[in-house]
Amino acid sequence: MRDRRMILFGLVRGAAAIAVALAVGAIFIFLSSKEPFTALRYLLIGPFLSFHGGEIAFNTQNFYQVLAAMIPTIFTGLAVCVMFSANQFNLAAEGCVLVGAFTGSLVGIYVNMVTGLHAVVCVLIAAAVCGLIMLIPSLLKVKLGASEMVTSLMLNFVLLYVVLHFLNYHFADRSKGATMTFPFLESSKIPSLVPGNSKLTWGFVIALIVAVVVWFFMYRTRWGYAIRMIGINESFSLYSGMNVGGTIVLSSVFGGVLAGMGGSIEVLGRFNTFQWRELPGYGWTGITIAILAKNNPAAVPLAAFFLAYLNKGCQLMATHSDVPSEMIDIIQATIFLFFAAEQFMSGFRQKLVVKTTREELKKMESVNVLEEESGHASTTV
Amino acid sequence: MLQQLYESIFRADFLFAIIRITAPILFAALAAVIAEKAGVVNIGLEGMMMISALFGFLIAYWTQSWAIGVLGAMLIGILLGLMMGFFSFKLKTNIILSGIAVNMLGAGGTIFLLHMFTGLRGNTGALVSPNILIPTIDIPLINKIPILGEMLSGHAILTYLAFILVVVIRVFLYKTPLGLKMRAVGENPSAASSVGVSVLKMKYIAIAMSGALAGFGGAFMSMYYSQGWNQGMVAGRGFIALAAQAMGRGEPVGAMFSSLLFGLAQAMKTKVSGLRGIASYNYLIEMIPYVVTIIGLVVYAISIKRRARRHQLKPVKE
Repeated sequence: MRDRRMILFGLVRGAAAIAVALAVGAIFIFLSSKEPFTALRYLLIGPFLSFHGGEIAFNTQNFYQVLAAMIPTIFTGLAVCVMFSANQFNLAAEGCVLVGAFTGSLVGIYVNMVTGLHAVVCVLIAAAVCGLIMLIPSLLKVKLGASEMVTSLMLNFVLLYVVLHFLNYHFADRSKGATMTFPFLESSKIPSLVPGNSKLTWGFVIALIVAVVVWFFMYRTRWGYAIRMIGINESFSLYSGMNVGGTIVLSSVFGGVLAGMGGSIEVLGRFNTFQWRELPGYGWTGITIAILAKNNPAAVPLAAFFLAYLNKGCQLMATHSDVPSEMIDIIQATIFLFFAAEQFMSGFRQKLVVKTTREELKKMESVNVLEEESGHASTTV
Repeated sequence: MLQQLYESIFRADFLFAIIRITAPILFAALAAVIAEKAGVVNIGLEGMMMISALFGFLIAYWTQSWAIGVLGAMLIGILLGLMMGFFSFKLKTNIILSGIAVNMLGAGGTIFLLHMFTGLRGNTGALVSPNILIPTIDIPLINKIPILGEMLSGHAILTYLAFILVVVIRVFLYKTPLGLKMRAVGENPSAASSVGVSVLKMKYIAIAMSGALAGFGGAFMSMYYSQGWNQGMVAGRGFIALAAQAMGRGEPVGAMFSSLLFGLAQAMKTKVSGLRGIASYNYLIEMIPYVVTIIGLVVYAISIKRRARRHQLKPVKE
């Protein structure tokens, strides 16, 4: 009874947070747009339904595109989940996605291998490199107590410039007008899952499998348990003899590995050459996803889907109406604030708890009365 | 090459540039110092600067007055601080997360808001006019001194304000009752509240002040430094300020020196990248300020650790 009500409350609360955010978005649309209803229609139902001359049809390509957009963000979402679970506000997933994409690309360009194996090796090497990178903020935190948040933020910029340096001066294809690497070898590309131009690759399937694996790791292994326990109460973990430092490093390295996989799978699936010239932003989206998923890896794909849908909606809105697509940041920030707010709707929860407890008490009382009565009955007989 | 570098560095205009580059970081670093003193991690500085820079500029444009623009930026900063406070203290959102939310608003929300208010996309280049930019002032007497004058005189009013505020904030934190209460809340909230200090009130005041300072920083960026607002303008200064706060041991004067160090690194970057034979390392040079920051943090962390160890070992030896 109590558990069911609390789960229900959690759902209602999440829905309320999203509703508030969409309402805020709608207010801004009405304030800024000359055609608010067109904008809202594209934002809310545009991603899946297309309108042609009054006819509404399910748009399969758009649907695939939304799923494709989930690929990198599922990985970063999982990475952030793992790191935040240990209460480590490590924000270097952003930089790791970039480095992962770059190393994956290099292996995809310069190493000759058989199709099938090649892509796997690209992703694994990218993952390993990013795992090693994450040693920097986590070891600095564990050994010296330097704030992982600040070092990881700085590290993002350092990684960006390192990648730009190597991209520009060592690996650029000078025959092209824009700065980009040579094209990936065919054998390294991640094959498409569906026909068409949606870029929905096998990476999506891998992302879902990895989500399950990470869930298993976090909730069914002792390392995952240690990570979560440190997040809940670090002192307790320390005094009960856990290896807190090692576990924090483990969680960060695992986060880096996931972010690196995400970056490499994204570029090898979506593009023909590497040409990112700035931080891609997937790391920050990953944070929103982890918040929406409440650090539960199993909920990450759902949260990633929601954000990908919203993002697509915003893009369509920007194309078909006069509202810029950056609207998504306002909606996302609002969701973020309300979703992470522990006390949001706490009055309602309080009432719910009181009500449930009263009912339980009443039930217990009536059971007691019944027992007493039956007791009396048995003695009189 | 070294000769060339040597000549370009030991010049008054280089020192002038350091001060100019330091000012916005100093505002943000002071904002981080105040918040941190009350036990509030303000990671939203970056977004606060972006948003207040935008509104400061727009308000200045609408009123055609730079002073009102600066005040407007400050007010927007305060409002954002209070908003972060409301979510974090009242609704119990983790303060780091509400900071990240403010940064999101700063990154994309500003582009949307700019479009909503003016129809422009990405930058305000079209709206700039001299009377909405923060004026520079020549300090009498000092501007007559050969090198010192060139270095110290002719800065924007807000540049001087930034350095004056270092002293003001130091006095505020250590010589006023409010500052004492604020530090008490940061150091031990339970102890502070047991002697009747309202922890919540102090935290709200701290984050509002932090917002106001970030607002100045934002106004400086859009109304002086880059002469107009554009989307990549703050470029991580809010994050660097957090590092400057940590490197400066959370003290206003320390934060000033670490901000100056960062200003130096940034100014060096511009100088070095102009040198012959080094152009193909421009991205690695671009990286210097951030590497300096990480190294600074590490050095600071080591010193703290050493000190802690000394304190720990003492009773054992005796």
